[in-house]
Amino acid sequence: MSSRKKVLLKNKNSDYKLKVIILGDSGVGKTSLMNQYVNKKFSASYKATIGADFLTKEVLVDDRLVTMQIWDTAGQERFQSLGVAFYRGADCCVLVYDVNNQKSFETLDSWRDEFLIQASPRDADSFPFVVIGNKIDVDDGKRQVPQKRAMAFCQSKGNLPYFETSAKEAINVEQAFEVIARHALAQEEAEEYTGDFGASTIVDIGADADRDGCAC
Amino acid sequence: MPEEFTPPASPTASFYDLSEDDEDYSTITHTSTGRGVILLYTKSKVYVHPTPSAKDNIPGFIALIQQKPPTGETPSTASSPVVNPANLLLAWLPESALGSAYDTYVKVDLLDTSAPPKQTYLVPPPPISTGNSSLGSYSFSVPVSQIYSLLVRPPSLGWWWGSIVINSRSGDSFPALFFHDSECASTIAQSKARTQRNFDPFGENGELFWGGDEVLRWLKRFVKVERSQVERTVYLIDPTKDDLLSFGQKPVIDSTAGRDRAVATASGSTDIAAAVMDPFTKAIKSARWTLLEQFAKVTQFSRQTASNIIDNPSLPPQVRKLLKNPDVISLQDDFDSARLYLARWAMGIAEQSEKERAKIVWKREDIMEMEDSAVGEFEILDIEAGNIRGDGDRRRVVEMDEWSSWWNKTSGRLEITVDEVKERIFHGGCDAAVRKEAWLFLLEVYPWDSTKDERAALMNSRRDEYVRLKGKWWDDLTRREGQGEAGEYWRDQKNRIEKDVHRTDRNIPIFAGEDTPHPDPDSQYSTIGTNVHLEQMKDMLLTYNEYNTTLGYVQGMSDLLAPIYAVFQDDAVAFWAFVGFMERMERNFLRDQSGMRAQLVTLDQLVMLMDPVLWKHLEKAESTNFFFFFRMILVWYKREFEWNDVLRLWESMWTNYLSGQFHLFVTLAVLERHRAVIMDHLQHFDEVLKYINELSGTIELNSTLIRAEALFYKFQRTVEASDRRNGFPSPGTATPMVRLTHRRTTSSAPSASSENSASASKGKAVADKDGPEITEPLRALLSRNIVRVEKKEPAEDEAGKGKTPVRE
Repeated sequence: MSSRKKVLLKNKNSDYKLKVIILGDSGVGKTSLMNQYVNKKFSASYKATIGADFLTKEVLVDDRLVTMQIWDTAGQERFQSLGVAFYRGADCCVLVYDVNNQKSFETLDSWRDEFLIQASPRDADSFPFVVIGNKIDVDDGKRQVPQKRAMAFCQSKGNLPYFETSAKEAINVEQAFEVIARHALAQEEAEEYTGDFGASTIVDIGADADRDGCAC
Repeated sequence: MPEEFTPPASPTASFYDLSEDDEDYSTITHTSTGRGVILLYTKSKVYVHPTPSAKDNIPGFIALIQQKPPTGETPSTASSPVVNPANLLLAWLPESALGSAYDTYVKVDLLDTSAPPKQTYLVPPPPISTGNSSLGSYSFSVPVSQIYSLLVRPPSLGWWWGSIVINSRSGDSFPALFFHDSECASTIAQSKARTQRNFDPFGENGELFWGGDEVLRWLKRFVKVERSQVERTVYLIDPTKDDLLSFGQKPVIDSTAGRDRAVATASGSTDIAAAVMDPFTKAIKSARWTLLEQFAKVTQFSRQTASNIIDNPSLPPQVRKLLKNPDVISLQDDFDSARLYLARWAMGIAEQSEKERAKIVWKREDIMEMEDSAVGEFEILDIEAGNIRGDGDRRRVVEMDEWSSWWNKTSGRLEITVDEVKERIFHGGCDAAVRKEAWLFLLEVYPWDSTKDERAALMNSRRDEYVRLKGKWWDDLTRREGQGEAGEYWRDQKNRIEKDVHRTDRNIPIFAGEDTPHPDPDSQYSTIGTNVHLEQMKDMLLTYNEYNTTLGYVQGMSDLLAPIYAVFQDDAVAFWAFVGFMERMERNFLRDQSGMRAQLVTLDQLVMLMDPVLWKHLEKAESTNFFFFFRMILVWYKREFEWNDVLRLWESMWTNYLSGQFHLFVTLAVLERHRAVIMDHLQHFDEVLKYINELSGTIELNSTLIRAEALFYKFQRTVEASDRRNGFPSPGTATPMVRLTHRRTTSSAPSASSENSASASKGKAVADKDGPEITEPLRALLSRNIVRVEKKEPAEDEAGKGKTPVRE
């Protein structure tokens, strides 16, 4: 898994390509968050995501140029079972819920578990998650999940960074993704230093040559 | 404008003498006639491609010729550009027609065109044609004053040869002229000279030099040549003010009118088809001109991805050089992948050409050309394609008259065979009015052998049943409001449906409105409003949730229902048609995704069988999970095609005319269409996925259907051939195909790896003594039966728990 990532995501300018996965219930605003962050656009008419797609964005993190590849996924749980195809090599996972939808908050835990099972990062405990409560633009009367409760949840899961955003009104989106990028970069670097230099490195070289050499 | 034109009189004997009398120039006369017109410039190896087959290409010369000036004017040559354009001819002559003048043409071709010619070369006058009168023999010449515009397509990635199409003021187009630069002595010399002079193969605008540039340069010496700002491939010759206003310049006031006109110029006549006939070759032989132009449009193109692509050894040197050009580098900001970009762009051109072709009546040649261009070594569609395309009648839309003629007027019984009906709908599709009836048969609401009365009775009972099912949830307050799991689950489903309906096909007029207040003040859409059709959609989906309790509503179903509802606009009728559709789509939505998985695996095997080379490439790219076709398969291309195309595609697939799983051949057709690009540019799963995702809205339906059909026949033949070789298969013995799983740790040398795969696997869809293995899932593709979910093994209840999140 990491072998592929190195080949794919790292380039010789020692910049990084980071892979971020956005998960959460259907309709919490995953696609909107991604598009607001990458394209600075909001549309009320996104269709329900089917399958998966990604966008990329280049950002500076502590003077390092990193390319984030942000994966947007279908929100209905059953469609996650094919997620292995794109969970692999993730550097950060963003868990999104709708602050006006209690249910979408309650499922965060299972999204997290499912991700850990499918992506099986080397160190599940230290794998970075960021939690986002979206749709704070909707009037207060409809809010179902108090901020306190969300923060308590994040604290209990190992002090996960927590943001409340509005993809519609571009509130806090930039800030959230800045932190996401930072955590993803740290994860990527940690992966790099925690070994993985054995036989797999040799495979990497072979795979790399093979891949680029393919003229077919 | 054509009226104003009088063709210049044929050159007279005195004219021929004139040139010889011209003292400023030593004159070489044409040996056989001793007189002729002045050959100012010419370029060799300019071909007409009368058919898509390369062996029919006719090599010739494009030439700028000066003929007799009207009396009173002094004779002029290239050195004195004051020549009446009416006396200039732009001509194309096949090599074979030149006779002894051939040598003169060769000589002039090789002259240094940067300086005025020292000599005057005379050649026999070419036949003058202002229309398509001389199309039969292909050679033509047209007075420059009669040229309205040139459609100029430089060679580019995937377009091996640049081409020029001449459009006359009378609205005619001449056959596209293809510049085979690599064969043309003068172009080779000129581009070499440029490189030596500037150490840079690019022209002033960063363009790579090609033969067509020279033609434009010739013309610019005598006439005004304006590039259209609207349609960048169109160059206007001596445009009038009106023309310039319309589409010469960037449109200021009425941009749409300008665009329309430009488009009309570019695609208005069938001869233009020739201009788009450039084969889309799988090899990138040259990347030029437009490549840079296109790069300039990409605002986000990352530096490091560009360096990746530079490192790719399969990249042609021209592209590599181009990418190192400082201008290009400066444009590289942030982009997924240079390869991906290149791929998409190259395909964009191919798709565009396909769309332009589609405006023209399908011809047998088109499909032949399509094979040549896109499929490369993967030779499909040979005989069938011609047959499929050949009978234009079969692809005629089924109109009401034809449909009614199949049914007995009094009993309402079908009077032709079901197969005949299906064949017609499969190939032609239905007119909108026919859909309301035909779809009910295709979706098995009505039996084909029913009478009018039986159908009426059936529909009555279906309507009652719909009302009853709807009442089940409508009246059930414990679910609507009650606590407990059932209520919770039901409300979750209701919310899910609500969310999805409000984001399904809202661009379609009937679903667009928000004029009705939302009935539920607690809904998140209560402030936005709804409309009656959205509400009907919600009711139908909730009723389906009730009807199929094991499955319930799953995301994607709203996409499947919307077209059906839009056609019938009657909730009960649409509901039962939807139920019929869901019979075959149910497996797509199973909780364990086994149905989707099975189809992706079948697709994997199908590609391995039909195109092992591509399959190997996808395997290397870690893409044989075929996940990037998930969306297409899940909702049957609903997100890939425009609304009307979806209707047409679905009714074709509903017929099961060739296969109950014809949709997989459509997928294969899409894949094969993009084969060259995928093989050349896409090397990783994410690149392939992105590329395939972004095909949405670009796929040309007709050619895809034809390709899919041809692929089916080829598949059928492959299976039959395999069966013949192996003796007839005993159905039970077929073993599952084993995946080629050798790791990339082995040498990447092609010979070594193919040896490996041959010995290490039993999969061997690749050549093998016994031929490919036909697995059970593959064999099932030959069946016209649809794959239904076995009811005795119901899917896990939606409310059921597992390790997965409780709620979806």
